[in-house]
Amino acid sequence: MDRAFKARLERRFEEQLTGPIRQRHDETEIRIAAGDVVPVITALHDEPDFAFEFLADLCGVDTGEVMQVVYHLWSPTTTDWLRVIADGLSREDPRAPSVTFMWKGAEWMEREAYDMFGITFEGNRDLRRIYMPPDYQSFPLRKDFYLADDAARSPGAGVRPMERTHPPREAPATKPVRRIGAGA
Amino acid sequence: MTTTTPRPDAPGQGRTNLGSDAFAGSPDDPRVQLDRDLGVFEPVPPYPPRTEREAEFYTLRDGEMFLNMGPQHPSTHGVLRVVLKLDGEKVVDLDPVLGYLHRGVEKLCENADYHQAICYLDPLEYVSSLFCEWPGVMAFEKLLDVEVPRRAEYIRVLSAELNRVASHALFLGWMALDLGGLTPILWSFIERDEIVEMLAALTGQRMLFNYFRIGGVNGDLNHEFLSRLGTWMSHATEQIEAGNALLNENEIFVRRMRGLGKIDSKTALRMTMSGPNLRATGVPFDMRRAHPYSIYPELDFDIPTRAEGDCLARYLLRMDEIKQSLRIIDQCLHQMPDGPIMAKLPRLLRPRPGRAYAGIEAPRGQYAVYAMSDGTDQPFRMRIHDPSFLHLQSVGLMMPGHLVADTMAIMASLDPIMGGVDK
Repeated sequence: MDRAFKARLERRFEEQLTGPIRQRHDETEIRIAAGDVVPVITALHDEPDFAFEFLADLCGVDTGEVMQVVYHLWSPTTTDWLRVIADGLSREDPRAPSVTFMWKGAEWMEREAYDMFGITFEGNRDLRRIYMPPDYQSFPLRKDFYLADDAARSPGAGVRPMERTHPPREAPATKPVRRIGAGA
Repeated sequence: MTTTTPRPDAPGQGRTNLGSDAFAGSPDDPRVQLDRDLGVFEPVPPYPPRTEREAEFYTLRDGEMFLNMGPQHPSTHGVLRVVLKLDGEKVVDLDPVLGYLHRGVEKLCENADYHQAICYLDPLEYVSSLFCEWPGVMAFEKLLDVEVPRRAEYIRVLSAELNRVASHALFLGWMALDLGGLTPILWSFIERDEIVEMLAALTGQRMLFNYFRIGGVNGDLNHEFLSRLGTWMSHATEQIEAGNALLNENEIFVRRMRGLGKIDSKTALRMTMSGPNLRATGVPFDMRRAHPYSIYPELDFDIPTRAEGDCLARYLLRMDEIKQSLRIIDQCLHQMPDGPIMAKLPRLLRPRPGRAYAGIEAPRGQYAVYAMSDGTDQPFRMRIHDPSFLHLQSVGLMMPGHLVADTMAIMASLDPIMGGVDK
């Protein structure tokens, strides 16, 4: 855990942060609104204090309540991974700005997030499906998309609150009726 | 395999012996029907373009044509389809079409418990399976706050570095095979077979080891493994050098590879490349040093780099890495501590809610797993980050201007494994 790095982040992104900075093991996690992705990422990449020049990963997350886009960044200025969570995308029409202006290589990762979650990345020139066939309709990694063969689901699964600080408002008390391919 | 798009302004284009041009472009065209019956892939998708890039790619200018390569092609390292846009024999642009090997591993992992999820990771990059398991178990250990015993860490590094040598040896053979040379793959399989047998003695499997466990490894070092390893180590360097000499001193190979598929360090970082392909452009970026994990900080090894960023540099760099891996294996054997190989853990794992990210240096670059727990016994979200996926993406930048035959050479030099690309 890099405490000094946390302080630096707090100072610089005071206005953009939507929650407290969390640190655990070798990771630092910040949460921002989807609208702030471009200025925050640009600042993290360009400012010599941060110098996050390596995009380690970009992925989508469906918490069952909201959609998120999660960026993992690496920099020589800190020993931590930086996790930037663009939080609070609506599940009906998730939209986030693309980071292909900074890392062209994010294009395929964004295509994957679109393919799996239906997140639209504004500014991506090639937002096609990448794994599923082009005439496919739903988004397989969403939480309301169940496996056809659901035998692996253990009996322990009931309420699946994502994080205790943010309990899903409409979490079903028992396992919901399985709807195959009921994404989108 | 060649399919041309019927265009009224280019007489002769699209004319074959199979039918008259009265049918050109219509679904009743016997050529189209024949293609459909044979399962031949049309390079142009049967729907209007959906994105800017797709519209740009699937528009032909004067003298250009499409060539469909794959999905079954001996040089695509799996099931990959690449649509090439050609001007004569020069490649103008290309569009890789993925998904033929997609199994939905992330979804499967989210519907399995933590122990079961590990074995789904093996068949991703199937020539270096231990490196696929490793970030998975590391991420879960972070979620569970488990300390891995030191002996287990040493065994992990030892077996993984052996796997790296096997993977790079196979790369050498494949690359030569894609260039038309059959001999090196036979040589490299001698090395690989020996290592694979060794790992089979250790893990019980030749290819998909399923050896790493959350909190340690599955079995301790045994006599057969150590005796095989000792015998192999005594002549490994010699044998690998001999195999290299086949290619390094082959003028046809060297002249063909030099200057091919060049990429500079800035572009490589922008394309989020990592691993040997990034280091071949001169960036000394290696997860083992950049973000140390396991026992790598205690080991003494170098990070080889090359400045050229072409196919030859990528090939030579991997050969340098084999030597460093042998150094690491040697140190592991000498420093191997005694002790337990598994941390004490309950059978049913329920990590407290949270998120964890673990990235390691696999033979192809940064391999990472991002796991989220919601307090149940199954991962809530399991993201697998595969370097081959991103390297395949940058082929499009390296290809323009080169010949059709160089597509295979460039792709082989990036060493993508479609099992990992398609997940």
